[in-house]
Amino acid sequence: MSDTSGSTADERRAAIAARDLGLTYADGTEAVKGVDLTVPEGEFFGFLGPNGAGKTTTIKTFATLLAPTSGSVTVNGFDVREEPRRVRETIGYMAQETSVDEELTARENVRFAAQAYGVPRSERADRIDELLDLVDLADVAGKEAGEFSGGMKKRLDVATALVHDPPLVFLDEPTTGLDPKARNDLWDYFRRINEEGTTLFLTTQYLEEADQLCERISVIRDGGIVATGSPMELKREVGGEILDIDVEGDDGVRERAAEVVSGVDVLAADAEVALSDDGVTVTAERAREHGPDLLVALRDAGITVTGFDVRAPTMDDVFLAITGGESDEGDGVTSDDDAATEREVSAE
Amino acid sequence: MSDDTDAAPSGRDGDPSPEPRPDGGHARRAPAGNSFLGDFWVNFVRWNIKAVRNPFVVVGSLLQPIIFLILFTQVFGQIATGAISGGGADITYETFLLPAIAMQVSLAGAAGSGIGLVNDMEEGLFEKVLVTPMNRAAVFLGKTAAELVRIVVQIVIILVLGTVLGAEIATGVPGAVGIVVMGVLFSLWFVALSNIIAIVTEDQESTIIGANLLQFPLLFVSTAFLPLSALPGWIQTVARFNPVTYGVDGARALMLDQDVMTVIEVTRFGGIWDTLVPAIAVLAALDLVLGGLMVYLLNRVSSSSVK
Repeated sequence: MSDTSGSTADERRAAIAARDLGLTYADGTEAVKGVDLTVPEGEFFGFLGPNGAGKTTTIKTFATLLAPTSGSVTVNGFDVREEPRRVRETIGYMAQETSVDEELTARENVRFAAQAYGVPRSERADRIDELLDLVDLADVAGKEAGEFSGGMKKRLDVATALVHDPPLVFLDEPTTGLDPKARNDLWDYFRRINEEGTTLFLTTQYLEEADQLCERISVIRDGGIVATGSPMELKREVGGEILDIDVEGDDGVRERAAEVVSGVDVLAADAEVALSDDGVTVTAERAREHGPDLLVALRDAGITVTGFDVRAPTMDDVFLAITGGESDEGDGVTSDDDAATEREVSAE
Repeated sequence: MSDDTDAAPSGRDGDPSPEPRPDGGHARRAPAGNSFLGDFWVNFVRWNIKAVRNPFVVVGSLLQPIIFLILFTQVFGQIATGAISGGGADITYETFLLPAIAMQVSLAGAAGSGIGLVNDMEEGLFEKVLVTPMNRAAVFLGKTAAELVRIVVQIVIILVLGTVLGAEIATGVPGAVGIVVMGVLFSLWFVALSNIIAIVTEDQESTIIGANLLQFPLLFVSTAFLPLSALPGWIQTVARFNPVTYGVDGARALMLDQDVMTVIEVTRFGGIWDTLVPAIAVLAALDLVLGGLMVYLLNRVSSSSVK
């Protein structure tokens, strides 16, 4: 996996370069509007956004499944419009929906992909074994994929996307609908191939996923990129500290708690108070210092506090700040593994 | 901040006007560059494995024609023999019916083509194939070839079974081979039609229902089960425009070694060729028209749309 290009790290070439990319569907929907994006070789890049923001449309354009309406895109140096076949030869693509042939065995699925991507005959057998090993399916290689669990199918799908050792791999919401164990396994595979030099372009609606894996993240909303940076940079941008206060009672109590907290004079004018699932969340500079005052105020108002936590902003907070608290259909945007999985499943 | 990180690489990247050509630098493993034949073969193998894995596909589409063959000869055999021996020839209903059943097998097999395509679309495998560098024509031809092989095998099975049940192929083995070839030629327009239904509906159930539902009326308003002269007037008219009539008449001419076609009277070629030539001409024209439409739709669905 050594880099034979001879280029030094600081002049890495662009694996993906999109200029003013626009894509309008036949029905007039402007799914992507003027996206500018450069992903250098070797980077683990995250593309984050709510459902319907344009993530999948963008990734499909990069993978030559959709032709751009305007602007230009080069992938591995090839123009997606001019030389789609060269692009296809040099990328791996894993679609959002698991796509494996259930009537073929795991090995046959990987073999089909190896042949489809032109892995030379002499390397094929080794390569297939290597990939089945990588995704821990070597033991069940002879079983038909139809018998596999969702997590196993997803891993098989990963293997078929990587079998030709592409320098760039697109992963479209690769862990959606997986249990936390399966998700963690996939994350490990992704990290490993990235360490070996593969550029990864990942879309996700799970903030934790982007936070854990990606060196750099762009947030997309309504077809346009609204923020780009490392997870740390984005979190720093939100600023301040966050107080989570859990209260006992129903929605009415939570709303009253929010009123009480907002009314405490010591809070800075720029403090933001929002309802959370279990109580209220306060974001402010030096929120930590004001904690005791808030608790006293709540007690005086007769509200029982059941939990209290001070923390630095998470990607959730970043996302909410950037997208204005709007998450389409109200699902998917959370850093809590289990809750995210559950909501995703129940939303279907 | 977001501007900085995004703008920096863009500025640097915009300078060298042509993008660097990735001659080994980008692709660590030089792609072998698949051949058309290689792509064809990979897909041919895939669809054959799938057919063998799923016995329902092979057996299921044979079951109905076999039931037809047995029930029709048993139930209608007595009455039908009168109708078919009007011409004076002394043939059994088994012999009369077998070429029609062979064409029914061909229809059922062809219906599976669109169903296979729509399954691939629904399971994301169609898209997965599109994103590979494989030649798209080779992909589709490989799949179709596998389906035609299945149709050939099934027609052979039906011909053997029919012979065992008492049908006689007057032209012998060369005629039997001819019937198989006729079955393939006859299947192509329905292969195209079932794929067109698949592409237009993009829905598995619609495709299954559409392709299967069409088969029965098509068979009944043709010369499949009774000669044209024994059919009511309006069905005679419809049968004239029904592709099934041409497939069945072609196969039947080979079966009986007679010019059986009555929807079009052709006399210049002599003997069974007076049936075969017009049958082949009509089917070939239909195959080309529907095949062309299918290719057009396939191109459209694989290059632009994707929901």
